[in-house]
Amino acid sequence: MRFLFFERQCGRGSAAISRALLVLLLAQILCGSMWAAFADQAPQPDPAGTATGDKTSVLDAAGNPFVVFEPTDRSSPDYAKNKKAFDEFQAQAAREPLALKLADGVGHDRIGTNFSWTLLTGYLVLFMQAGFALLTCGLVRKKNAAHLMMLNFAAYVFAFLAYYAVGYAFQFGAVAVNASPTNLGGAPTLNHFLIGSGQWGFLGGKGFFLSGPAYDASSNCLTLFEVVFMETAGYIIVGAICERITFWAFLICELFIGGMLYPISGCWVWGGGWLSQLGSSKHLGHGYVDFAGSSVVHSVGGFCAMALALILGPRLGKYGPDGKPRAFPASNIVFVVSGTFVLLFGWMGFNPGSTLGATDLRISVIAVNTNLAAVAGSAAAMLLWYWLFGKPDITMACNGMLAGLVAITAPCAFVSPTASVIIGVVAGVLVCLGVLFNERILKIDDPCGAISVHGYCGWFGAVALGIFADGTYGEGWNGVGAAAYLGKTGQGVTGLLHGDWSQFVVQLGGATLLAIYAFGTTYVVFKAVNAWRSMRVSKDVELQGLDVPEFGMLGYPEDAVQMLSAGSQSPQRAV
Amino acid sequence: MKRIDAVIRPSQLDEVKQRVNALGITGLTVSEVRGFGRQKGHTETYRGSEYTVDFLPKIFVTIAVAEDLVDPVVEAIIEGARTGVIGDGKIFVSSLDDVIRIRTGERGPGAI
Repeated sequence: MRFLFFERQCGRGSAAISRALLVLLLAQILCGSMWAAFADQAPQPDPAGTATGDKTSVLDAAGNPFVVFEPTDRSSPDYAKNKKAFDEFQAQAAREPLALKLADGVGHDRIGTNFSWTLLTGYLVLFMQAGFALLTCGLVRKKNAAHLMMLNFAAYVFAFLAYYAVGYAFQFGAVAVNASPTNLGGAPTLNHFLIGSGQWGFLGGKGFFLSGPAYDASSNCLTLFEVVFMETAGYIIVGAICERITFWAFLICELFIGGMLYPISGCWVWGGGWLSQLGSSKHLGHGYVDFAGSSVVHSVGGFCAMALALILGPRLGKYGPDGKPRAFPASNIVFVVSGTFVLLFGWMGFNPGSTLGATDLRISVIAVNTNLAAVAGSAAAMLLWYWLFGKPDITMACNGMLAGLVAITAPCAFVSPTASVIIGVVAGVLVCLGVLFNERILKIDDPCGAISVHGYCGWFGAVALGIFADGTYGEGWNGVGAAAYLGKTGQGVTGLLHGDWSQFVVQLGGATLLAIYAFGTTYVVFKAVNAWRSMRVSKDVELQGLDVPEFGMLGYPEDAVQMLSAGSQSPQRAV
Repeated sequence: MKRIDAVIRPSQLDEVKQRVNALGITGLTVSEVRGFGRQKGHTETYRGSEYTVDFLPKIFVTIAVAEDLVDPVVEAIIEGARTGVIGDGKIFVSSLDDVIRIRTGERGPGAI
């Protein structure tokens, strides 16, 4: 009954965490006074949202703006034509001032529609947290159920705070420079790189603590959507490091991911940073393209998890004296399957929502592609396992579905439904081989398959974009080929099979770089943390299960023989 | 007085209960247990790693009876629990020194 009594043994790390949070708080106060420095800079933020969305936001179905702006580049061959169009627009506007007023309303409504879409899909992505919690909790042993739930819960809480403090500013502090989210009103106040400038930006520099320039309706819409994406990377690691990591070490991992690891690479791809601009600066396709984050979110999370799992080492008893892996069967298949379905549902926000606008009608294709890859991935994993081991493993069938989802996340907007099925099937096979490879050859213990699902399949998804993108979508993506691309008007992001090898090269290089970045940075940082204090629980705690030693309660208290203490209610006597 | 303990297949509990009840016994206690006999365990695969299921789930039935009911109850358990396949279980019969009804303090055969 030793575990029923209070044991105080986790005081060491928690003091360090408290100190770190105190520093964050002080930084916030400092930052609050600092943002006055940005206060007089144009453009002004619009916290009320009353100045966001006017006639300049009105576009037709093909994306042509309603308002014709005065051409500024006199050396352009189209100058005369553009100037004529501008003059005609001016003359027309002078005759019909009411049309301009109406356009102001239409523009505002357009932004409003896109806000609704982006926020609602963001809420769907938020719900994926519940799916991950169910999935990972079901895949581990019962004695660690409370530990798993708390990791998933704390991941949301602490990574969110880190992202609020510095992460968002690092990632999107310069988004208006190259990657303005015009569907959401452009977030024009976020226009400064902390490191780098122009097409070679490495780190955003505005919007710390969401104050000043980031206290803006357009920016906050983006914040909500992006913070839940960061959370996804944040809880991917849970699947690989659970059942042996101490809680304080886990909190440091989350602060690291939410504040540093994810935002930095996120800035390179989505914040208008250098990787996304390789198309303009080095003529490599449309630059590095990752629509909804196969690499930015998933492989970064997956390879970070790999480094952490490597540092922590396998769970006790995972490998026998002969080095052969042993099975620790899942404790709750019902959780595993329902969690996977919650994730599939959440993914309907993850991918279609990444258009950041309901006025982008490609959303239907994206939703279909996402689902197709999911079922194809699951079918492939199920059948492969059936063939290899004689029975289809339910947990691998679920991993296969997630593998398909992870892989289609980058290319979902740029490929056809048929290509989505192919991508899903390859991912479904890849995830199975990845799980066996990790377990038997690398001997990295990954209880939930996070490294294979998110790391390997995420990398593959980003590369698959460079192969299968068919050019039907993404005209002018990352500022490349707005007028014409590969000699065709309206040609979008194009992959190897449709004639643009340079897109494949930048995808392969970019995805590999992000994987190495995530693995390398995490490994260096946490090797140091682990040398300072062991991130792993003691042998006794691990054998007993982490629930009681780390949190003072069991996930399933009915499993313990409860002793009624003196103060508790004893059963009523029958009279 | 005798105590009859039977290890049976979980699927046969209902059959056994009905047959034993029909004999007019006044009490029966069951517990879920795990174990192995000649049936032994079997091997399964989880995410590519093999594991053995050594201890199979069984139901442990305990009945206290007067001497004259021992043979009919044993017969009833056999009838209810037998499937003819290895793993049907075992019955243990042992003598019982005393039985006490907690509510009244009654002792002996009357307390059964």
